Amino acid sequence: MRHPAHPRVRTLAQAERRFAIALFAPALLVLVVTTSAPLVYLAWTSLMRLELAMPWLTGFAGLGNYTKMGSDPRFWSSLSLTFVYTASTVVLQVAIGLSLALLVLRIPKGQAALRIAAVLPIVLAPVVVGLFWRTLVLSPDVGLVDVVTRALGLGSHNWLGDPELALISVIAIHTWQWTPFAFLVILASLSALPPDVFEAARIDRASAWQRFVHITLPLIRPAIVIVVILRMMTALSAFAAIFAATGGGPGTATEILNLYAYRTSFTEFNLGYGASLAMVLLVLTLAISFAMFRLRRAR
Amino acid sequence: MKLRTVALTGAASLVLAVWVVPVAWALLTSFKTERDVLAYPPVVVFAPTLANYREVLFGSASILPNLASSLVVSGAATILTMLFAIPAAYALARLALPMKRAGGFYVLATQMLPPVGLIIPYYLILQKLGGLDSYAGLTTIYLTFSLPFAIWLMVSYFEDVPLEMEEAALLDRAGRLRALWYVILPQVRGGIAVTTVFVFLNAWNEFLFAVVLGGNRVRPVTVAMFNFISVEQTLWAKLAAGAMLAMAPVIVIGLLAQRHIVKGLTVGAVKGARR
Repeated sequence: MRHPAHPRVRTLAQAERRFAIALFAPALLVLVVTTSAPLVYLAWTSLMRLELAMPWLTGFAGLGNYTKMGSDPRFWSSLSLTFVYTASTVVLQVAIGLSLALLVLRIPKGQAALRIAAVLPIVLAPVVVGLFWRTLVLSPDVGLVDVVTRALGLGSHNWLGDPELALISVIAIHTWQWTPFAFLVILASLSALPPDVFEAARIDRASAWQRFVHITLPLIRPAIVIVVILRMMTALSAFAAIFAATGGGPGTATEILNLYAYRTSFTEFNLGYGASLAMVLLVLTLAISFAMFRLRRAR
Repeated sequence: MKLRTVALTGAASLVLAVWVVPVAWALLTSFKTERDVLAYPPVVVFAPTLANYREVLFGSASILPNLASSLVVSGAATILTMLFAIPAAYALARLALPMKRAGGFYVLATQMLPPVGLIIPYYLILQKLGGLDSYAGLTTIYLTFSLPFAIWLMVSYFEDVPLEMEEAALLDRAGRLRALWYVILPQVRGGIAVTTVFVFLNAWNEFLFAVVLGGNRVRPVTVAMFNFISVEQTLWAKLAAGAMLAMAPVIVIGLLAQRHIVKGLTVGAVKGARR
């Protein structure tokens, strides 16, 4: 193989390349047709005035939809809700998942039980999770949470009907469903650490906190970064559970950008403006993910 | 020392309860009468009934057609996904594919797209083509999330196959396709099974695409959950029974594939981060 110019070697290499292209091309074509082409159409639609309820108004709007956002309070509210929702759910998931993983490694029994229980929320359809919480868990009076708060003397609350509580509730629902993910990934990463590093540190009389900050945390950093990236993507596009639990309400109290784009497009049938909102979410999502990957690679 | 273990076990049990209780409570509720559901304080001991399951399966709001819809769409999407994903993943993992990095990056980028950005153009295009409420339309849009996921998961399994296997097969002057079929694919049989199962699970649980592109004919079971909720009343026990039936397949799959879940959930990002 030292003489790549050798004719037989070259034809072999060519044959492999041709074979590789033949295997990859069909999937590539499907992805271009099913994802990239629709996105071009989305970008085009975002430049249109397109309201299905008022078809006579349809026409090219240029950047009209985008300039309209500047003075649309509902847009700014949905944008800030998106940041609050994403930041709080990701921080909660990582904090709880990490603490739980550290805790579980210290208990003699029950690891397997927790691992199995963790699978349960993850595999459920988010829409089913949203409906369970809306009815069985968060209903006033007979919902599980209300039963607990009443028993503790904290009183009954309208968990999904009160605007401030509703936001906390949908954040809690998301955190309930996806913390097991953070827990499982971080646990897997912790279990794979070499035990002798900790032995050495213990002999050096490093405190538990020092061992955690200077040894454990740097070693599992890659796993945490991956959890953060993936959980951010999911939170930015969260839909079904919020839709099922509050529908974005009461009013617009839980209407993150994703839900605003949906409601504008499919309840108000203003697809032009909806498309421009979806474009903002798209750019935001891609920008955040590429920034995160870059950050990951820089270290 | 003992006391600490007790405290830690207690804390772990509390979390365990938080994850399990809502689901267990739903299971319990599915065997209650609608009247028992609304009892306060909530009853744990009650005369169980199968009436909800009977109603949900064979009553006026039967979810059987919806289960069938879900099965057809998820099944078709899974088969198509695997047909395209397996060869593509092999090319990415093992062959001298031109512009390999760019190709892999493109696949990863498609996985990051917010679904709401896709549903708007799909709705408009399918409306023009008369493809709303059709199996073809819904199956096609399911490929947008299942194909990138399946490609990356399969890449990780192909990378685990020892290189010598492949070289031996090629030296044997077997054609490349024959080597792939007879030598490589049997090595990743487990990976194919796990990927198939996860692709199916994701498709089965999908909601946004189904609620927008579906209709009276194609109405997956995730959408049908709203049959039991109306402005006037919520039929809790029926909803619980329907949800239990709808989620039974994914719960079984999840528990069986438990060991593979971490890999299945993180695969794309692990690759993306390494690049």
